Amino acid sequence: MNEEDMSEQAMSEQEEKNLADLLKQSIAPVNRELDRDLWPQVLRRLDQRSADPTWFARTWFAQTWLARTWLASMFSAHALSSVPWFDWALLAALVVGVCVFPNSIPVWLYHF
Amino acid sequence: MNTHPYLRAYMAGIVAPTMMLLVVLSGFLIARYTFQIPIPIERAIVFPMAIVPNLFGAWNMFYLWLRPRRHLPIGFHGALLPFILAPAGFFLATCSGFLAATSSGLVWFHEVAIPYTLLAVVFCLALIAYYLVWKYLVGFFNAVLGIA
Repeated sequence: MNEEDMSEQAMSEQEEKNLADLLKQSIAPVNRELDRDLWPQVLRRLDQRSADPTWFARTWFAQTWLARTWLASMFSAHALSSVPWFDWALLAALVVGVCVFPNSIPVWLYHF
Repeated sequence: MNTHPYLRAYMAGIVAPTMMLLVVLSGFLIARYTFQIPIPIERAIVFPMAIVPNLFGAWNMFYLWLRPRRHLPIGFHGALLPFILAPAGFFLATCSGFLAATSSGLVWFHEVAIPYTLLAVVFCLALIAYYLVWKYLVGFFNAVLGIA
């Protein structure tokens, strides 16, 4: 190995080192540890769910597949709170109307 | 889910009246066999079983077609449906022989007499019911099937 070969090898080693440094700078280091413990957050979420069930969630029907898939989202606290007062008033008028005029129930059954 | 939007609209539309059909049939059976109201179930069930669900599906397809052209909120769109269903039901019931129009009102199943004033109230209540059903039930099923 002559002097020229040794110089080339030193150059390539230096280039490799430079390249490695550049790569280290450009790629952010992977943080293998979480910044914080997530378990208290999970427990808090579970407590929140079990402590604040809606009236619907307390019924036996809420445990069925249909309730857990469709009706749970339809009658969730968020969905019920987003119903405007006007629609509640219309629903109340409808219930009162059917109760006041029970004769109309066969007509309802036929037309719905 | 970009394929067959009209098929999905039809399916979303028929869910509510199809589920309601169980209530309707139970109501007819209770009225017939418990309260002895002479309801001809085999003739009376045709309209709620065949016409209403299909019309709901077609009306929802129409809503989907209409949306980019002349957007109407789904509740109001559904509230227009009784204007079609009421005359259609009246026509079919009259032809089937269990609805008679008298001077004082309509007589259903030869037993249930409803004066015209009450009929107007019932029609207004039907508009409310259809508005709520379409806004919350059909709207929900539309969202589930990705066409809301």
